[in-house]
Amino acid sequence: MIDIIIGYISASIRMMTPIGLAATGELLVERSGVLNLSLEGTMLMGAFVAFVTTYYTGNPYLGIGTAIIVGILVTLLFGVLTQTFAIDQVLVGVALNLFALGATFFLYRAIFGWYVSPVPPKVETVITELPIPLLSEIPIIGPILFNQTVFTYILFLLVPITIYFLKNTTLGLHLKACGENPEVADYLGINVFKYRYSMLIIEGILGGIAGALYTISYGTMFLDNITGGRGFVAIAMVILGQWLPLKTFAATFLYAMVEAFQLRVQAFGLVSEWFPYQFALMLPYLVTLIALALFGRKVKGPAWLGKTYKRVK
Amino acid sequence: MLYFLYPVIAVGFSLGIITLIIYGLGISPIEGLGTLLYSSFGNAYYTTETLVRATPILLVALGLAVAFTAKVWNIGAEGQLYIGGIAAATIAINSGWMPAPIPSILAWIGAGVAGASWALIPALLKAKYEINEVFTTLMMNYIAIYLSSYLLHGPLMNPTTLFPETVIIPPSSQLAKLIPGYRLHTGVLFSFLILTPLVYIFLSKTIYGFRLKLVGSSPEVARTSGINIKKQILIAFLISGFFAGLAGANEVTGVVLKMRPEISPGYGYMGIGVALLGRLNPFGIVLASIFMAGIVNGSYTLSMMLKVPIGIANFILGILIVLIVLGEVLISRVIEARKASFEKESIKKEKRGEK
Repeated sequence: MIDIIIGYISASIRMMTPIGLAATGELLVERSGVLNLSLEGTMLMGAFVAFVTTYYTGNPYLGIGTAIIVGILVTLLFGVLTQTFAIDQVLVGVALNLFALGATFFLYRAIFGWYVSPVPPKVETVITELPIPLLSEIPIIGPILFNQTVFTYILFLLVPITIYFLKNTTLGLHLKACGENPEVADYLGINVFKYRYSMLIIEGILGGIAGALYTISYGTMFLDNITGGRGFVAIAMVILGQWLPLKTFAATFLYAMVEAFQLRVQAFGLVSEWFPYQFALMLPYLVTLIALALFGRKVKGPAWLGKTYKRVK
Repeated sequence: MLYFLYPVIAVGFSLGIITLIIYGLGISPIEGLGTLLYSSFGNAYYTTETLVRATPILLVALGLAVAFTAKVWNIGAEGQLYIGGIAAATIAINSGWMPAPIPSILAWIGAGVAGASWALIPALLKAKYEINEVFTTLMMNYIAIYLSSYLLHGPLMNPTTLFPETVIIPPSSQLAKLIPGYRLHTGVLFSFLILTPLVYIFLSKTIYGFRLKLVGSSPEVARTSGINIKKQILIAFLISGFFAGLAGANEVTGVVLKMRPEISPGYGYMGIGVALLGRLNPFGIVLASIFMAGIVNGSYTLSMMLKVPIGIANFILGILIVLIVLGEVLISRVIEARKASFEKESIKKEKRGEK
């Protein structure tokens, strides 16, 4: 019994890693006053290029590297369109997501030509768990917290760093000023766009890694739309976490428990007539929707979130 | 002028990218583009097939034009289409005993209402609790697709073949074919000739359309002039959901003649691109939907005849949307520049006049 619980919580931590990384990136971007809906597309592109790179080089860390580069490119494109060109952020976000969906759909077929062979291509080597010596030996906590991939540890470090950065540093204060009132921030000599672009680059890195984990760590294949709306889930977690790093982290963990439950329900053959597998697949989306409906009501984010800011010349 | 020119440039650009891809795959671009053009508009049969393909895209995009006009970003048309399809199939199967046009009319109305009610949930969440509709509609897409998959594997499954799809709808529920031997059906005619002008009139000539435009372009002005913004959001959402539902009904009663899990190859998402490409103008959307349908149908032929990987249509859709969004800036830049130079001119003239 205890093993099942440990296994379940450990799986929840594993599932929360990509969403937690992406959500932290989005949190920083939103704190600077930008609503980046293209996170989903960033993750999908990351998942795709990581898969292709790993498939041809056999080195999953190279895959992570290319995912980071492509992730940054996508968020920078978003930045250029919404900040420099001042186009509606929601519109650009939706457009870039559809672009990522179409581009990966086509390029996957162009590269692997799957219609020739019925077996979908798989990567041979994946990013595996990296148990921390000694710490992973601790009963219960060890296998749950310290027997994960390196990116889970990065997430664990990232959350306190983000909290400290936002609360106790001048840079963090400036960043929040950009999100609350860029006009005043600009007046005070803060370069609003510099902060926003920096945060977008960080989000690109984290989003790229997050997507890559789905194709070269948890799975070995690329499937169409493999991220399946998880970028949007990550943004929803930021809303549910009220734009605070720790609360977002907690919300992500609760979501991941649903996802891990869903995977277990399918894997252990609990799917039956009274609980069809489609309901298991539907569960994460349903839970996110209900959570948003119950706890996302009129929550106040940064005052300028999603609004276009144009510098008066 | 610029507003009409830009979509044309974007289309030209994306065709250029197709040519490059085809060339990259080692196929002669002339042969490739020729095949693409021929298989979408080459003869009467292909042209009618393109119109049949364009209809669901047109229906989705017409509804989205209404929503986007009010800046309601409903990206849930795909899910609303599926729910509409389920409703249409259920009605069509059970009302087959009625004389011919009635069951299909009932199916269309029922599908529209079903799509609108699916859109009502995110609409209420946005209007009442200010929850961003992009998330809620997207989540509801997945829920709708899994829900219809469940229904088609369970209660609605074809009892004789045991395929996860409904039985073929009775003949009296099927839309009449216009020409024997072609799939062109009355739904195509109805959508292009009746619904398109209706949406145009609604958006451009009525107070309802004007209110939506005002809410979309300057919500502050709308509020001070006494427009109930929440009501406008609900209206925009319900109309777009209704039209997405109709797209589902069109596929069930006119094309596939049953409901199945993969009824839509992404019409809900194509509609977003087509609505933007058509600049939210119903007649522009007609042209854009035919273009998109031509690319979709042409890409199937390309993959069969020349082994161009399938999915080129999705790729083009993605590029087109980004180009259109980018075009928005260029246009506003040009207009601003013109305004600025005009103002300078008039200031100069004034000064000269004083002297």
